[in-house]
Amino acid sequence: MTYDLIGAVLFALLTIGIVAAAAGVVLINRITAAALFMAFAFLCNAGMFVLLGAETIAMFQVLIYVGAITVLILYGVMFTPQSERAYGLFFQQQKWLAAILVAPIGVAVGMLSFSFRDTGRPLAGGGDLVALATSVFRDFAFPFEIASVLLLAAMIGAIVLVKRDED
Amino acid sequence: MVVPIGAFIAVSAILFFIGVAGVLVRRNAVVILMCVELMLNATNLALVAFSRRAGLADERGSVFVIFVFVIAAAEVAVGLAIVLSAYRNRPTVDVDEVHALKG
Repeated sequence: MTYDLIGAVLFALLTIGIVAAAAGVVLINRITAAALFMAFAFLCNAGMFVLLGAETIAMFQVLIYVGAITVLILYGVMFTPQSERAYGLFFQQQKWLAAILVAPIGVAVGMLSFSFRDTGRPLAGGGDLVALATSVFRDFAFPFEIASVLLLAAMIGAIVLVKRDED
Repeated sequence: MVVPIGAFIAVSAILFFIGVAGVLVRRNAVVILMCVELMLNATNLALVAFSRRAGLADERGSVFVIFVFVIAAAEVAVGLAIVLSAYRNRPTVDVDEVHALKG
């Protein structure tokens, strides 16, 4: 019972962290702060994965998102100039119209979200690594290889895109 | 009381909404990439929640999360490369100013 209470409290804290950090990414004008808020949102999301019992996914989340993608984004921030213009365009003029249009969609999505129920399958003990590895390397081995080729092609494409033309 | 799956899905939906708002509102191309990453994270959260709480006795949903990781890494690398090469041709990262493909 106390464990469930701790889980609920952690869920509330992580929810506050995710929503606040994501709102910070959208609302804060300083782009470096936005990138760090994005990293914090990723970290809270990793906490959510741990709460769900998917520790391996949480580890990949920390390695790939909090590590690699945040560093890549920060390099992108470093290589591009940050102008002092007003950061947004749309909300300044049509804030109320946007709120009116989004509110019914939000209500519908919220009702749909809370309509899902746990199916009562007990969480497997000992983490999710064995089940995950079995799925990846047996059922999804070929798509996994395709994904690795895609990643290689994307990296080569990125290098070609930013390479300077040497006349 | 264990946290129900609906709460996780609701957090995922909120995060996705914030990401969409960021993509629509912000002008800086790098910030738009960040908001796309937030949206991908929201889908990851939904996939893991369904996989752990509502699925069969395997981890198929989490496998798709790994594929989303791969796609996200490829997307942010190519996206930043496009931003940098666009900046090289025309010194701005403001998506309102980059309209070379506009008819």
